[in-house]
Amino acid sequence: MKFLLDTKHLWILLALLVLGGVAAWEARSWMVPDTYGDLMGRYGPYRAAALEQIAARPSVIIADSVCHECHQDVEEERTDSKHATVRCIHCHGLARKHVAQAQAAAKSPDATIAPAQEWDGDPLTKIDLYITQDRATCLVCHEENVGMPEWFQKINVEEHLDDQGAEEPDSKETCFECHGGHDTAP
Amino acid sequence: MFNILPQKDSNTGCNCDGGCGSETSADELTEAEFLKSRRGFLEKATTFMLGTASLTLLPASLVLSKEAAGTAGKAATGAGAAAIEQTPLYGFMVDTERCIGAGKCLTACRAENDVPEGFARTWVERYIHLKDGTVQVDTVPETGYADAGLPILDPDTIERSYFVPKLCNQCVDAPCNQVCPTHASITSPEGIELIDPELCIGCSYCVQACPYGIRFINPKTNNADKCDWCYHRITKDEQPACVEACPTGARIFGRLDDPNSEISKRLRKLPTSVLKEHLGTHPKLYYLDLPQEVI
Ligand code: HEC
Ligand code: HEC
Ligand code: HEC
Ligand code: HEC
Repeated sequence: MKFLLDTKHLWILLALLVLGGVAAWEARSWMVPDTYGDLMGRYGPYRAAALEQIAARPSVIIADSVCHECHQDVEEERTDSKHATVRCIHCHGLARKHVAQAQAAAKSPDATIAPAQEWDGDPLTKIDLYITQDRATCLVCHEENVGMPEWFQKINVEEHLDDQGAEEPDSKETCFECHGGHDTAP
Repeated sequence: MFNILPQKDSNTGCNCDGGCGSETSADELTEAEFLKSRRGFLEKATTFMLGTASLTLLPASLVLSKEAAGTAGKAATGAGAAAIEQTPLYGFMVDTERCIGAGKCLTACRAENDVPEGFARTWVERYIHLKDGTVQVDTVPETGYADAGLPILDPDTIERSYFVPKLCNQCVDAPCNQVCPTHASITSPEGIELIDPELCIGCSYCVQACPYGIRFINPKTNNADKCDWCYHRITKDEQPACVEACPTGARIFGRLDDPNSEISKRLRKLPTSVLKEHLGTHPKLYYLDLPQEVI
């Protein structure tokens, strides 16, 4: 019965435990976001606000249907061609600025639309509008390579230019001697 | 686990019976006395059933993520769909025969999601089966093969070759989600696996758990990162960036719960396969014409 006399240590221990508990609770409420637990998933609570946060990001890639709103002529030109599924962005760049400028210009006559720029590199990496007749644009898709399916119309550039008798096979713009940008059929 | 839900869904069948009950309350006032008492009973039964149905239904829709509800996707278009505002359930299909390996999807994904150099949310593998029985696998460079400077193989030594686009499988039973210690891996109501940027501590458990190698630690944010089928686009009714950028229609995205969507129609008609089916992860990414060697 002697050990019960020395209860002071127990009280200190208890106080420490309570203090520690309060501190842990404080720390937890400080670290865990308020919205945590709004969403009950299969494996426990989640933060529903994260869904909105992720969904709020703006999109970058523009669908063809947006371009078609203003460029119906191009749409008509391309819908029946085999290039109907080849998107505007593949040859003209992401064109986000162009769409923004054009939409502003449609509302107020003061706004100007910047002309298309020179091409350098892969169109999909540029947010500006580009026009190019560089054969590299076409060859990313059309140059024959191992792995391509049978159905795809691939070409071996040198052979193709030779067979068709291109006038300037070394020029960058050589494809456009015979093919158009939109109506590609020779 | 996700078998529970379709059962709960069939409970909504009772809900429909409840609808039949409301019909009895319409114009049977001229009926005989005993019919009236029967009607009273039916009304009470209807209220009771509606009550219990909504009780079972509410937690079913809130607690269990709805992706499971839609795994019985076609069932969800029935009774349950009318009772609750239906959240879409998305699926993805890759037609390997259509892929030409131009790499447009890769560039589009990088532009859309700001993926740092050296990492990828989606990639395209090229399998080359040589005549001597060996298989070579490489990934399509982002600018396509045209000026990648890779050695050109002699076509005579090749038996067959094809491309296989890879992206997140959005598994119904996602192993990556289960291991997350901070509950940063969320399954959205649409069935998309997402990462909560505020809860993720970058421990990379999920990176190891994913059997498909989809997840990586993004050096810019030090968070786990993965393909989310462009959640920010599909919630705005746009197509994911890679689908938008595919020039041949090799990537098909759509709603599994809509029987008239392109993907549902194809799933009904054509034999498809999923990757690593034996792991039981139940992917929602389906492959058409997938050669059996692909892993
Ligand atoms: C295969 C590549 C390619 C695709 C795809 C493409 N274009 Fe073009 N586009 C060109 C080229 C090349 C030119 C330069 C003029 C030419 O040579 O025909 C051009 C020119 C234009 C012009 C300038 C007007 C003109 O005719 O000179 C507009 C406007 C245009 N494109 C809009 C579009 C839109 C909108 C789309 C999508 C619906 C689109 N283009 C898809 C290659 C393409
Ligand atoms: C809101 C309407 C609108 C939309 C949307 C739009 N454009 Fe245009 N675009 C125009 C107008 C107007 C011009 C003519 C500008 C000029 O001639 O100065 C133009 C010109 C062009 C040109 C020729 C530029 C030059 O310098 O010759 C190209 C190429 C083009 N657009 C491509 C696109 C593509 C690709 C898209 C989709 C990503 C697109 N446009 C979307 C209104 C639009
Ligand atoms: C993003 C990929 C892509 C780009 C870039 C591209 N094409 Fe094509 N091209 C295709 C596809 C896909 C087809 C359809 C093949 C089929 O259906 O058999 C096609 C078909 C063609 C055809 C056959 C058309 C016919 O009617 O038989 C020609 C010619 C052609 N492209 C020329 C070009 C030229 C010239 C360029 C450059 C201005 C170009 N392509 C750029 C993907 C592309
Ligand atoms: C001198 C004219 C000429 C030039 C230059 C030319 N082509 Fe062609 N191209 C043709 C003709 C003609 C055909 C149709 C051939 C046929 O149907 O057999 C054709 C067909 C094609 C086809 C479809 C092939 C198939 O299997 O059906 C593609 C793709 C193509 N060209 C791309 C290009 C590209 C890319 C360039 C630039 C490097 C280019 N062409 C330059 C005349 C030309």
